[in-house]
Amino acid sequence: MSAAVEARGIAKRYGSLVAVEDLSFAVESGEVLGVLGPNGAGKTTAIRVLTTILQPTHGEFNVAGIPHTRPAEIRRRVGVLPESAGYPERQTGEEYLQFHARLFGHSRLSARSVARTLLDEMGLGERRQSLISTYSRGMRQRLGIARALVNDPQVVFLDEPTLGLDPAGQRQILANVRSIASERGAAVLLCSHLLAEVEENCSRVMILNRGHVVAEGTVAEIVRQAAAPRSARLQVAGEHAERAVAALAGTAGVDRVERSDGHAGWLKVDFSAATEVGDAQLSVAVRKLLDAGVELRSFELEGARLSDAFLAMTEAA
Amino acid sequence: MTQVAHPSEQTQARESTSGWLVVFSQEMRDLWLGGRGLVLSFAFSLLVGIIAYLVATNTDLNFLEQRESTSLTLQVAIAVGGLLTLLVAADAVSGERERGTLETLLLTPVSRREIAAGKLLAALSLWFAAFVITVPYVWFLGHGVGIVDEALVAGLAVGTLVAVFLASLGLVVSCFAASNRVSLSLSLFVLLAFLAPTQLPAGAQQAWAGDLLLRVNPLTAGERYVSKIVVNGHGWTEDISWLLSPVIGALVLATAAVLVSGRYIRLRGGVSG
Repeated sequence: MSAAVEARGIAKRYGSLVAVEDLSFAVESGEVLGVLGPNGAGKTTAIRVLTTILQPTHGEFNVAGIPHTRPAEIRRRVGVLPESAGYPERQTGEEYLQFHARLFGHSRLSARSVARTLLDEMGLGERRQSLISTYSRGMRQRLGIARALVNDPQVVFLDEPTLGLDPAGQRQILANVRSIASERGAAVLLCSHLLAEVEENCSRVMILNRGHVVAEGTVAEIVRQAAAPRSARLQVAGEHAERAVAALAGTAGVDRVERSDGHAGWLKVDFSAATEVGDAQLSVAVRKLLDAGVELRSFELEGARLSDAFLAMTEAA
Repeated sequence: MTQVAHPSEQTQARESTSGWLVVFSQEMRDLWLGGRGLVLSFAFSLLVGIIAYLVATNTDLNFLEQRESTSLTLQVAIAVGGLLTLLVAADAVSGERERGTLETLLLTPVSRREIAAGKLLAALSLWFAAFVITVPYVWFLGHGVGIVDEALVAGLAVGTLVAVFLASLGLVVSCFAASNRVSLSLSLFVLLAFLAPTQLPAGAQQAWAGDLLLRVNPLTAGERYVSKIVVNGHGWTEDISWLLSPVIGALVLATAAVLVSGRYIRLRGGVSG
């Protein structure tokens, strides 16, 4: 089965300015690919190229099996929520969706039915006759996602869908994103600045920096690739602190052990960044402590998250 | 989550409505139900009403013979009706850009030329509304001298050509303009430039250079043609050469608007990239 999106060596340049360079990746149906990158990394440009709004300077891509040389056919098969989408303030949510459904070839009746179904799905059914000017930001984002689905797309591009939303609004949008992939079987490309939401919702991640792909894979793979420094905070019984420091000092993979000032029994342990032992490092350290008869009260692994890998990769590049 | 029928399975739900027609319908709704068209038409009717009243009653202006009064009112209607189409067309692309709604429109399978055609036709609806508003005034001023039919036919023909010319001009400017303000300002400036020859002294207008200027300018040539029909009572074909530049201007600019829009309806204004 061919990938829902397959890009090979895409570049987009504006004169000497490189927006995207040598972008190659593939996304399967039903998969959520998180696209991460700092501001100006080329995420939005990449989406605009893949959705045929911009022409690539170089490279080729297929979307839903359609080559990039047939842009109108690609647009029939994709749904997009642009980052800074505007909405016609004087239209109702239902009119807005009906209009877009008709642009995708639905008859009047069918467009109305599609609009109502999608508004209900997005929890906007009761406000379908309200002017968009009265919608909150979260409601507009959900309306934008509904608009992206009017053509039942095979690939959905969402550019910062949770930007500016409160936690409840973010949770609602992310639930919608997951169901687009799991229930509709569409491939989803989710651009976001919120690393936690990508970590929780995406099966794979691609990190862009200055137009280049600097990492791609599952979250665990990317964390390993980044070899981000890792550390742990341990709490032991106050009287066992000295013994704990001594036990950990000689443990393989442990670079440094420090006692936290003013917090009796708290230790900070830095692990070696070069090793690939992952969680095993902590297991070995914990076993050493238990063997030494230290009463371990809590431990928390730090520096093994996507955010650390992201910072390591984007700052290093 | 309920699924919408896949595009390939939607044939039964589809009708053969072209993309331009869907865009046109929506633009008409926005223009007329949104109130902008009604406000502009109301302002237009006030202006034409005042002018018709003045030429019919004012002691300084009513020296005009009835034919001249009818012609003057019609010419004002054509110029102002054209201005309205220009204003709406000048907002068509740059306005969508500024409101952030252009990208979602470009993400549909409807071609950019169809989008332009739909918007252009919707802008032209303002001229037809303006013409309908003008009809009673023309009847009031012209029925006494039996020139109502000629005036209305000439006004509709010339006004439509001028409206197509100006709306196309506005659309082209709107495609290139970096902002909506630039688009509207530039369009108005160009319109004023086209109207400038009407302020030439009578002597200069009759000299060969002045005559040429009036003939190549679609606005002045069109209005001169209306004047020949309504005031001088000439036949339709007698001064047909005056219609040349309005016809050519409308055709060239409408073609240019459709061609340009295919390439330059983009997320950013300007000619580069």
